[in-house]
Amino acid sequence: MSRNTLKTIFVISVVTLIAVTASYLIGTEPATVGDVGAIVDSLSEPSLPTTSALDPQPIVETPPDAEAGGPSVPVSPGLLPDLPAGDPVIPVGLKLGSLGVDAPVVPTGVNQRTGQMAVPNNVRDVAWYQFGSVPGERGSAVMAAHVDLASEGPGVFFNLRTVDEGDVVEVEFSNGTVRVFRVEARTAYQKDELPLDTIFAREGSPVLTLITCGGGFSESSGSYDSNIVVYAVPIPDRDLGSAG
Amino acid sequence: MRTLGRIFLVAVMLLALPAGAVLAQSTDGTVTVLHGIPGDGGFPVDIYVNGDYTAPFIPGLTFTEFAGPVTLPAADYSIEIYAAGADPTATDPALGPLPVTLPAGANATIEAHLDEAGAATASVFVNDISEIAAGETRLTVRHTASAPTVDVLANDGVLFSALSNPNQASGDVPAATYNAKVVPTGATEPVVFEADLALPEGTSTIVYAIGSLADGNFTVAVQTITGLGAAPAGVPTGTAGLATDGFPIALAIAGALAMVGLAGSGVALSRRSSN
Repeated sequence: MSRNTLKTIFVISVVTLIAVTASYLIGTEPATVGDVGAIVDSLSEPSLPTTSALDPQPIVETPPDAEAGGPSVPVSPGLLPDLPAGDPVIPVGLKLGSLGVDAPVVPTGVNQRTGQMAVPNNVRDVAWYQFGSVPGERGSAVMAAHVDLASEGPGVFFNLRTVDEGDVVEVEFSNGTVRVFRVEARTAYQKDELPLDTIFAREGSPVLTLITCGGGFSESSGSYDSNIVVYAVPIPDRDLGSAG
Repeated sequence: MRTLGRIFLVAVMLLALPAGAVLAQSTDGTVTVLHGIPGDGGFPVDIYVNGDYTAPFIPGLTFTEFAGPVTLPAADYSIEIYAAGADPTATDPALGPLPVTLPAGANATIEAHLDEAGAATASVFVNDISEIAAGETRLTVRHTASAPTVDVLANDGVLFSALSNPNQASGDVPAATYNAKVVPTGATEPVVFEADLALPEGTSTIVYAIGSLADGNFTVAVQTITGLGAAPAGVPTGTAGLATDGFPIALAIAGALAMVGLAGSGVALSRRSSN
């Protein structure tokens, strides 16, 4: 083998190694983008004003003065709770332009066997946790979908791990209106460290929380070890009225 | 109006609840009062606490109404119930004095109601404020009416059986709207009461049967305690392993080939230059 041939192989090998390293670094998304802590804090806001030593919570210790006007103890009629009036307005569609996602949304609850959030057993639908918040209302509205299924291949949230800060998310509702959200943060949690009380918070600032699986994969259990979580906040100015 | 004299009341000691975590301050308890005694014009009453007669603690409460919830320091209380407008310093109470011990962290409902025979009495119920599993709701039925022993049917299946005054039955069930019926125990009719009950997730709904079946004023009063829900245990969303963090296989092969090429050509080149 000529010296020139060896030199050529040497150069090609070096270039290839550099290319492989570079493509790995470029192709691997950082585990976290955006300010996760700020979102978590906004979901931890108490629903009632906090009390301090300077602002003690009013505790009724003595009967109210009759001249003070009105009872201090609230009185309510013990009526039967209202039945849901008509069909509630629920999310029916989700668009993530940066990923090319335009998926139907279905309301789900809890898998009674596992106690986990129920997610449709297909790669097409996005699940909305109907016992939590409505997207755009107070608290965390949770939408989850499969990253993949062994039976069907990649899922609608396959590329959720590449979502970036500033990406736009649109949620379409059953009454034709659309609410627009901006991605504030994306991160990954080990499944046993998933902050469930934050992700499923029913109080606090409005947050749209998108969830799928990621991280390492166990062939033996057929499951991932992490959840990819994307937090988005409403951009009310960009909401759309009825699509007519 | 039913004549109510001073009646015998047994001191009711509330059991301290292990699940008092809902209360921020462990030295307080939470109390709700229910008026469950029927009478003319809803039998309005004034309720006084600890013999303080300067003004009613709760003025003008009527049949089926709740007062509260109110947060009170854990302590012993004495509760007296007078016909509305009666002078508490010059007349006997219609009901009471009722001694109530409120332990720290407890959530209780004090109820004036009828016993099975139709006489006025009072009960103190401890409300279960423990966490409700995700997706579920808590239904409690308290039989505090002048009526015989009953069964409670949910969607025509027996949910609670043989419930008698002044007892309660409770269970956590999937959140939904249920058709609820009250029937004589062991029977399916006559239906004493029927309603569609919307039971929200994470909420405790407490239904009190009150009034008198014989007098035709049997009805229900409903108390709800919200915010007892829990988050699901996790979010399972992948089974194929196509999106792992691992080193992609094609890159790994290219890298390995490059390392071999680099090593081989490097060694050969260095040998030649040393020759």
